[in-house]
Amino acid sequence: MAERWDRARVLALAPDASSLRAAQLLASGRSWPLTGAADDSALWGECLGSTVTPYRTVVDLSGPAYRCSCPSRKFPCKHALALMLLWSDGTVGTNGGPPDWAASWLAARSAKASDPKEPKAPADPAAALRRAEQRETRVASGLTEVDRWLCDQVRQGLAASQRYGYRHWDDIAARMIDAQAPGLAERLRALAAVPYSGPGWDGRLLEEYALLWLLAAAGREQAGLPPPLRDTVRSRVGFTIRQADVLARATPVRDHWHVLARRDLDQDRIRTRRVWLRGRRTGRTALVLSFAATGQSLDDSLTVSTQIDADLAFYPAAVPLRALLATRHDIGPAGPPSGTTIGGLLAGYAAALAEDPWLDTWPSVLEATPARAPVPCLYDAAGEALPLHPGAGDCWPLFALSGGRPLTVAGEWTPRGLWPLTAWDEGGMVVPL
Amino acid sequence: MNSWHDLVAASLIGTERSVVPAVGIPGLPPAEDDPGDPAAVLLDRAALLTAARRAGRRPDRAEPLPVCAPDPRPTVSPAAARRLRRLISGEHPDLLTEWLAAAVARGLRLPPQLLPALMDRVLRGRPADPGLPRLLAEAGGPRARWLAGLNPDWEHAAEEPSTDDRTWRLGDTRQRRGYLASLLNRDPDAGRALITGGWDAAGAADRVMFLSVLADALGPADEPLLEAALDDGAADVRRWAAYLLARLPGSALGQRMAERALRYVRVEQTVQGPRLSIGTPRRPDAELQRDGITAHPEPIRAPVESRNHVLLEVLARTPLSTWTDGLGLTPAEVVALPSGGWAPVMFAGWSRAAIAQGNRDWISALLGRALNGRPGTAAEIEALRQLARRADPALGAPGATPVSAGDPDAPPPIRDTVRVLRFRHDMLKELHNG
Repeated sequence: MAERWDRARVLALAPDASSLRAAQLLASGRSWPLTGAADDSALWGECLGSTVTPYRTVVDLSGPAYRCSCPSRKFPCKHALALMLLWSDGTVGTNGGPPDWAASWLAARSAKASDPKEPKAPADPAAALRRAEQRETRVASGLTEVDRWLCDQVRQGLAASQRYGYRHWDDIAARMIDAQAPGLAERLRALAAVPYSGPGWDGRLLEEYALLWLLAAAGREQAGLPPPLRDTVRSRVGFTIRQADVLARATPVRDHWHVLARRDLDQDRIRTRRVWLRGRRTGRTALVLSFAATGQSLDDSLTVSTQIDADLAFYPAAVPLRALLATRHDIGPAGPPSGTTIGGLLAGYAAALAEDPWLDTWPSVLEATPARAPVPCLYDAAGEALPLHPGAGDCWPLFALSGGRPLTVAGEWTPRGLWPLTAWDEGGMVVPL
Repeated sequence: MNSWHDLVAASLIGTERSVVPAVGIPGLPPAEDDPGDPAAVLLDRAALLTAARRAGRRPDRAEPLPVCAPDPRPTVSPAAARRLRRLISGEHPDLLTEWLAAAVARGLRLPPQLLPALMDRVLRGRPADPGLPRLLAEAGGPRARWLAGLNPDWEHAAEEPSTDDRTWRLGDTRQRRGYLASLLNRDPDAGRALITGGWDAAGAADRVMFLSVLADALGPADEPLLEAALDDGAADVRRWAAYLLARLPGSALGQRMAERALRYVRVEQTVQGPRLSIGTPRRPDAELQRDGITAHPEPIRAPVESRNHVLLEVLARTPLSTWTDGLGLTPAEVVALPSGGWAPVMFAGWSRAAIAQGNRDWISALLGRALNGRPGTAAEIEALRQLARRADPALGAPGATPVSAGDPDAPPPIRDTVRVLRFRHDMLKELHNG
């Protein structure tokens, strides 16, 4: 029997802001002539909608998994969310078993859970090798094509870039998809926004072209690179490693991992969640990624300011950051992490760049005070300052929390500035930003 | 590092029309002339400089902000902070004022990181609740003032009213309202003197402002002014005056209403016990209209048939003691008297009276009655909505009502009422538990 969830936990499942709003409006007894719960492990209800027959919603809280008769493609839909909100408020009764339409789905789910899927038959190894060789050839020609394209840009001059539409970058990105180099494609597609990113766009565009140029060169010369750098180059070009291979290759690192910060990004119908961890014993920083299609919930199991005793398997790289949670042992609360100075951050980033020059998102924890002039920034006890990322907005909650006094701030350092994600005040209170 | 800017300039023009500049990186030998494709040479040098510039970045300098004065109050509990976040995001918007007032009364500090959203919310909510900025200033304390100093948008979101009498003479309506409210709070007699002294010279909008501010500090001394205002030339002033007189215990208007009410509503003894017998009221005459009851229902009110309208308006302005003292019954007994088809009108009228007169015994009695029944008319449902927001929060305690919010058999208005009661109970409990 599960404990009843608090409201925040339910709301965190919402796939997007509009579902959240719709669910809050629907979470009223008015809309639900019938609701019920079984041992706080399953919920069901009938919700009055625009159709004659009510929508039938079932939630299996052990997943959680959802089923609803509404046509929405969002997952969970607003009805499932609203039903969970009602339950969270303690307004769903637990008397009586589920009606047949709910019981049959719940029964099918529990049957599936106790019947593990059969392992897939091994693929034809010779065919797999042939496909891998074909891909290497395609990627190599893609790298050559990017080289040529970059030289064309620089030859003709970047001044025209503000007159190009998205097509200019989408076309070459599409050719990289054909060349099976999705990492290059993603970098190229992201460039379309740079000419409109405000003063200094020309320098930023040249930086990105130069780093692509460097990546293409490294991709061609990968055979001569030290293995960790080769892994970095291949992953940035777009070769992925299956999770099973990461788990098989890596020696797991067990530590008490402090969950420092979380950031969600929406791109191209995919939602990405970045969770930054730091090991208490090893001092290592780790990045755990999770993905969901737009309209679906992201993994919510890592909560900021908790500490998780776990084995992490790091992806092979020159600067290993990305990791998989291999085994979880225990979880508990955590206080504020210790932060570094501005100088410490810059030195750490410089050392990391020496291993991976493409690294442009560097996790850091600072002991610093926010200021607004000459630009919104953070300064440390030595009076050294770094700007906040312009894309992070006003950051008013950060300033309000500080009141002109130092904070511990966890965030992502980028060449454009620090993107603050979590702050702890002097009393140790944690605030996700 | 000028060489980077030279490279950017060359890349903008394009290597077809410009020369690739040489770049110097401290610690590295100067680049030699490269005979290759100028575009490739430029990209090579840009790559090198990009890595060097990122790795060699120097810290900036900042201009520190003033340090905010400390706020010695303890911060609200995490549960209360979560609820405040819900209120800011738009849930139960009409309960935000009550939450803030309770936090101020308990001497609690707001979570500072929520102040920006709260101030935005107060600004957006204007002018719905003119008292909110003063409340926010008090609840937000030094941190709210500090933030308002950083962002001019918030100057008026958390504003302590001025106590400088020049504000009264020279300020705009908002500032004068704040000055008057604060004076009425500190020195009621001085505040009244300001109103009576300025009444004749003030325009209609100012007279409405006077009365709306007076609403929070109403006392028997205000009756002569209000009674005279019933004959004011401006309809809004007359409406406010009638509304305030009806709230004033022992006012002559209240007595006039009580006489009318007892003309329409009588207790009849029948074999089944006492019941209310209602005589259809007349159309509003000049006297009724002077006391604020007009012929047509106001569109903002819940619609009631027009013959019900007069009865409802009279009931809403009748002192509740007319029923309890006059009949020798408790509020619960009065509201339980059968009145047949008139019951929804009686319920809505009494509800408005209980809210206007701030009578919690009556509010509890009316809610208790409604929660056991099946309210159906729009007027009843609206009355229920208002009652739930003003009831004794103890009614929201688990088990305090005959139904629960999740009771599948209860009609939706009942479940929503219980939900509001529950929300208020929980929110006040969170604030009381520190």
